[in-house]
Amino acid sequence: MRHGSGLFGLITAGLLALAAGSCSTAASAAGGDTLKAIKARGELLCPGHNGSYPPFAEVDDKGNWKGQDIDFCRALTVAIFGSDKNLKIVPLSWAQRFPSLQSGDVDVIIKGTGLTMSRNTELGLSFSTPYFVSPTSIMVRKSLNIIDAKGLDGGTLCVPAGTSTEALAANFFKGHNINVKLVTFEKSEEVSAAFFAGRCDSLVDAAPVLAVAARSSSHPNDYTILPDVITLEPLAAAVRRGDDDWLNLINWMFSSMRLAEDYGITSKNVDEAKAKPTDATIAKLLGATPGIGARVGLSDDWVYNVIKQVGNIGEVYDHNLGDGSPYKIPRGINREWKDGGVFFPWILD
Amino acid sequence: MSATFVAHPSTVPVQERRPPEAPSALSVIGTELFGSWPRIIGTAIFAVPIAYLVWWVLDWTFLESVWRADDVEQCKVAVGACWSVIAARFRIILFGLYPYDDQWRSALASLVIVVVAFLSCLPACWTARRVIVCWVAGFAAYLLLMYGGVFGLAKVTTDRWGGLSLTLFVFSAQTVIGMPLAILLMIGRRSHIFVIAKLSAGLIDLLRAIPLLAILFTAAVVAPLALPEMLQGDKLTRVVIGYALFFAAYQAEIIRGGMQGVSEGQAEAARVLGLGKWQSLFYISLPQAFHKALPATVSQFAIAFKETSIITIVGFFDILASGQAAYGAGEWYPYFKEVYIFIGMIYFITVFSLSRYGAYLERRTKNARI
Repeated sequence: MRHGSGLFGLITAGLLALAAGSCSTAASAAGGDTLKAIKARGELLCPGHNGSYPPFAEVDDKGNWKGQDIDFCRALTVAIFGSDKNLKIVPLSWAQRFPSLQSGDVDVIIKGTGLTMSRNTELGLSFSTPYFVSPTSIMVRKSLNIIDAKGLDGGTLCVPAGTSTEALAANFFKGHNINVKLVTFEKSEEVSAAFFAGRCDSLVDAAPVLAVAARSSSHPNDYTILPDVITLEPLAAAVRRGDDDWLNLINWMFSSMRLAEDYGITSKNVDEAKAKPTDATIAKLLGATPGIGARVGLSDDWVYNVIKQVGNIGEVYDHNLGDGSPYKIPRGINREWKDGGVFFPWILD
Repeated sequence: MSATFVAHPSTVPVQERRPPEAPSALSVIGTELFGSWPRIIGTAIFAVPIAYLVWWVLDWTFLESVWRADDVEQCKVAVGACWSVIAARFRIILFGLYPYDDQWRSALASLVIVVVAFLSCLPACWTARRVIVCWVAGFAAYLLLMYGGVFGLAKVTTDRWGGLSLTLFVFSAQTVIGMPLAILLMIGRRSHIFVIAKLSAGLIDLLRAIPLLAILFTAAVVAPLALPEMLQGDKLTRVVIGYALFFAAYQAEIIRGGMQGVSEGQAEAARVLGLGKWQSLFYISLPQAFHKALPATVSQFAIAFKETSIITIVGFFDILASGQAAYGAGEWYPYFKEVYIFIGMIYFITVFSLSRYGAYLERRTKNARI
């Protein structure tokens, strides 16, 4: 998930400097009134990928987009229009995403994008609250019978040479007094190939990337991801700076999908919950009593529509990354606070 | 000194004057591989691993492989190739994200481009008017089918075009637009008018100094920031123009190289015969320049075809990106090799046909040599 390095990063940085310098018509016209522009256009423009980036954005047999990031784009479209028919996915490469946001090719970036200080302060972007945390983790062969990183003492770890991951992993093992020999390779393909060929005991990368890599090996079920977390990368939605209302709407969409999960409201039982709300917050959330719509410039049933058509945030996870998907990645840190994770909804009053 | 009498050639019977018959290809190979003991040993040393490799490839490709689209479970236990991934997802590879129910339009449009390309390769089509009519009609049909919006065809915007269909379009459009542009740039650079010569030379050198990647990025991403909305046009149009300019800059230099190989005497002779400047250029110099530049031109076409895959960096689903999308989902993830082999075959067939056609052209123009 650490993209935009090397040549592409350089190009991106250069172009953004150019974008910031030139007062472009597209970007400034959209600034301040993104939601109004989307409604007038009748379409939400959201980024896809140039290829596939499972489990965040991938293509099904009929050429339709699916994946976690795509589902959040769908949710946003449903919130605005009441149907995901008004979603237009614009395929973008990693290098393109920030310039494309500035030029108005997309309204929001929900595309496996890590929240970093330089992106937040230097690229003219505002970030939403994180919607996903990507832990840098260690994957090992199940046959080693290791339950955590301590078990790797005296073993080896495959890492790409000269990357931030290499430094982080070295620090992690040093800090925990675990003696692990780092085996480095130039390219990331070489690193995983070496691991799957048995050159080292363990492999380090972002957990979803590891899970997908395991699936591409010849024995997908022979590997397990250890619970230790080396570092965390928060993924968040990015918008053009200067439109607080638009950013608020995105934040409240994520928050409402969390609140629904905390209350046990799913796409299956949402009708029932709306018809007979058990408390005032649920009634307000689902639009049984008025208030939640006008504050973000939408109708009162926008959350109801999102839950009904896309699901709560747990359902989105399960469907794309968890047990309902081919990847079966344990939710771990991405669970709600009440279930042992780091996420919680904002207060709906 | 006694004279030595040698029979005059004409007195030797005809059959004795024939050159010795050329040995058959089979006997040459036989001598080369098994002519002496060292050769036999050398052949054996190399033949065994090659035979093993061939067997292994055949085994993986055909004998142990799974072919049916609904056989993911079989793929998991099979040791050979899982061609099921192609069977299940070939439409993504060929048509990218084009709406599923309308993909026949994309197929038909690609067929039109292939047929037009084939026609314009035939000598019968080699007049300026025929080539122009062919390609204008071909592109019109392609755009009509792909874009729709008329005759009851649903409108499909260019961001959903993809796969082999898009690759063929980008390749043919850039070469068909780029070739006349290249000739113009070449004429410009050889012009006696100082301003035109320097401008053409400057443009060629500028375009060759910028990486293709940067040109595409500029066309796709920077242009909308810099241009007013009414001038922006479609992203694919801008990118194809970028490709065409890049192709033209290189091709202009290739033709100029050919022109330098045509002797001055040719143009002078043409002038003596009463041909005008342009007639001399188009009927005398340019055809000879093209003949001399043919090998380099064929290479440039092959490069142009392969470089269409860079379009993925500005978010278009060319055949390579579509292939990545084809295996990059759920249960198909382990079978990327099969997808890349499939795409590799498509590239190979196209580029190999190009080089064979180039060889045919060389033979043909050699016979018609002035």
